Amino acid sequence: MAEVTPAPNTISLREQFAAIAQLRWNIFVHSLRTVRGRMEMVSWIFIGFGYTVMGVGGTIGLGVATWYLVSHNQEEWLAVPLWLIFLVWQLLPVMATAFTENFDASNFLRFPLSYRSYFVIRMAYGALDPTTIIGCLWLAGMALGAGVAAPSLFLWVAIVLLAFAALNILLGRMIFSWIERWLARRRSREILIVVFFLFIISFQFISPMMQLYFHHYGHSRQPPALALATQLVAVQRFLPPGLASSAVSLSVRSRFALALGALALMCAYSAAFLGLLNIRLVAQFRGENLGEAPAPAAVRRGKETVAAGWELGGGLSGAVAAMFEKEFRFLSRSGPMIFPLVMPVVILVIFRFSFINLRNGSSFLQSHAGFAFPIGAAYALLILSNISYNCFGSEGPGVQFYYMSPVRFREVLLAKNLAQAAILLVEMVLVWVAVALLFSPPSIGITLATLAGAAFAALASFTVGNLMSLYSPKKIDWAAFGRQRASGLTALAALGVQATCMGMAAIAVLVGVYFHQTWPASVLLILFAAGMLRGYTYALSRIDEVAIGRRETLIAEICRAS
Amino acid sequence: MDAPAIATEHLTRRFGQLVAVDDVNLRVAPGQFFGFLGPNGAGKSTTIKMLTGLLAPTGGRMEILGFDLARNPVEVKRQIGVVPEGMALFGRLTGAEYLNFAARMYGLDRETAAKRTAELLDFMDLASQPKALVADYSHGMQKKLALAAAVIHGPKILFLDEPFEGVDAIASGTLKAMLQRMIVRGATIFLTSHVLEIVERLCSHVGIIHKGRLVAQGSLEELRAGVQANAAPGSAGAPAGERLTLEEIFLRIVGGERIADQELSWLK
Repeated sequence: MAEVTPAPNTISLREQFAAIAQLRWNIFVHSLRTVRGRMEMVSWIFIGFGYTVMGVGGTIGLGVATWYLVSHNQEEWLAVPLWLIFLVWQLLPVMATAFTENFDASNFLRFPLSYRSYFVIRMAYGALDPTTIIGCLWLAGMALGAGVAAPSLFLWVAIVLLAFAALNILLGRMIFSWIERWLARRRSREILIVVFFLFIISFQFISPMMQLYFHHYGHSRQPPALALATQLVAVQRFLPPGLASSAVSLSVRSRFALALGALALMCAYSAAFLGLLNIRLVAQFRGENLGEAPAPAAVRRGKETVAAGWELGGGLSGAVAAMFEKEFRFLSRSGPMIFPLVMPVVILVIFRFSFINLRNGSSFLQSHAGFAFPIGAAYALLILSNISYNCFGSEGPGVQFYYMSPVRFREVLLAKNLAQAAILLVEMVLVWVAVALLFSPPSIGITLATLAGAAFAALASFTVGNLMSLYSPKKIDWAAFGRQRASGLTALAALGVQATCMGMAAIAVLVGVYFHQTWPASVLLILFAAGMLRGYTYALSRIDEVAIGRRETLIAEICRAS
Repeated sequence: MDAPAIATEHLTRRFGQLVAVDDVNLRVAPGQFFGFLGPNGAGKSTTIKMLTGLLAPTGGRMEILGFDLARNPVEVKRQIGVVPEGMALFGRLTGAEYLNFAARMYGLDRETAAKRTAELLDFMDLASQPKALVADYSHGMQKKLALAAAVIHGPKILFLDEPFEGVDAIASGTLKAMLQRMIVRGATIFLTSHVLEIVERLCSHVGIIHKGRLVAQGSLEELRAGVQANAAPGSAGAPAGERLTLEEIFLRIVGGERIADQELSWLK
């Protein structure tokens, strides 16, 4: 009887890790085969430089701060830098997903990995995160600072900070794995993303609320919040950064049992995070299916009448109108894309209550209300760049339709830009109303100059955004938390355009200031916008050639499996 | 004789050193139900992508209904319908919205688009969940929707890349009925499939591509006769008078027997 030669009885963990490391290296090397890959590499060098400055600068700064605190017997204040590290470690990966790369290690589950191997792989990928490297560097800086100030303390501080680093890695991995669980289904994803944005927005209000509070109570009286702050300080002692700080400060005061207790409690937190992470990883390892189930829908019988599509008029073709309608329907069903659009108004509210002059109680923008509308408009443009610089990112396989149908890409992109312009217009109106309510109605001169500046910047964004959408597309996968990385090249291009537009707008403003009038600035910005319109139409007239030339890259990237 | 619906001359596509499609000269007459077959990696999808404008050839030319695809891509696309491998659907639209959108992209006016959308949803049995998003459709429903979008403008040629893959028997029956109805009305259908029984039942003509080269082309009878004529005396070729199935024809043309006879060193 025929028999199959059995597979090896033991699978070497080291061999598997080596194979995975080889795989990652091969993927990296092969990515450099294309021009786009090499350009991405260059952009990553710039981004890496930013991270290096952040890492090295923070290491030195925190090292010096720790040295100062330890040598002045103020170890309890170590909680401040530790809280800073903790917040950066946990929040930066969430906020800067464009600049972090995470690989979906669950892809390896098809291979005969033991659970232990799978767990280690997941943790190893977490440890390769730039934030983790920066966090570890900062903690190393603190340990060195403490060691220089009190050499006998070095070993204990190193142990405590090592435990703190492990806790941060476990917590970060645990949060990501659970959020991915919730993001896997569309409905829970929409809810989660709205909650996430509300969290981010509420976070922004901390500073203005504090300023308001201090303005209200002043410095002479004892504000009731001081009692609350005292309570918060007591509570934070039982949270990881506070525990790490206590473990160090208590050991300095020779209260070793309590110091050990603080470390043990921190380890207990780690164990809890490990347990929660374990629940997720075990479920993944056992092959849970988080795919989208068909949504239950009302069953109707009989022929359905279908409403006719939108019409735009103005000589625009039916195809442009259909695209325009499609963009709005897409947007209305994309919580992650639509929710940031409220941010310009939120920012104005934050500004309203920030930078308060304690003498007269007015905020910066109340004293300089002329800046409010331009600031709100600039923020609206910034938010719009999320959509305009990678406008095919969320299309999925549908992007092939544009190449199959008898429509020119200039029509497709024109419709997309019209939809973006319409969103910007609505945002500008909202911002104008918000400025009028929060501060004072912007003058006609300011309104005109801002509208002209916004038109100029929007046209510049559309021109470059259309090209970047074709040259450097990136599939947006909302179900994969931390893996919807934007192209680094696109991020740099967007920054470049925004900086250039701001520079040119500043020149126009300076001209206005020179003449003590707003109209010269408006005229200049209208001229800039007119020039940019010419550039936009020229780029649009040539976009079909670019789209045809880039079709393979675009389709391959946007249609790729997650 | 009518001009061919699809004609290629020396059609070639290279990916670096790899020649995926090599000097293919294809002719499909109007009204034919043409099955395009080949082993995995033979160049079927690459060819269909080039014929529908999703991929540029590196050499040769393509004519669709007499139009040069490179020079008149928009005119060609107006007259063809495509169901590509990935189906080209927009997940965040409802079925009705997607069909309406597709119809208007193909130049239909708003009223006609809405009317045909309603008819197609009904015909394809997709009207029961009007609020469901395409992303929430089952695979079979998505295939039916993709086919509906490909035919909504009444194309003269329909390109289908693996249209029956992952489709259950009920949906498959609906699709086949629709395709046969289109052939009766004079359309040309160009289809790739791995399911040779389906191709044998539906297609009047077949092309076989192997390692990038078109190795056979013609009606089923012509291919059968060709295989029998080429069988060396005393070889495993079919005896005269034996009716070979498409699978047998296919395997003999692409050398399937040799692979079946091979052994793996560790599979004793």
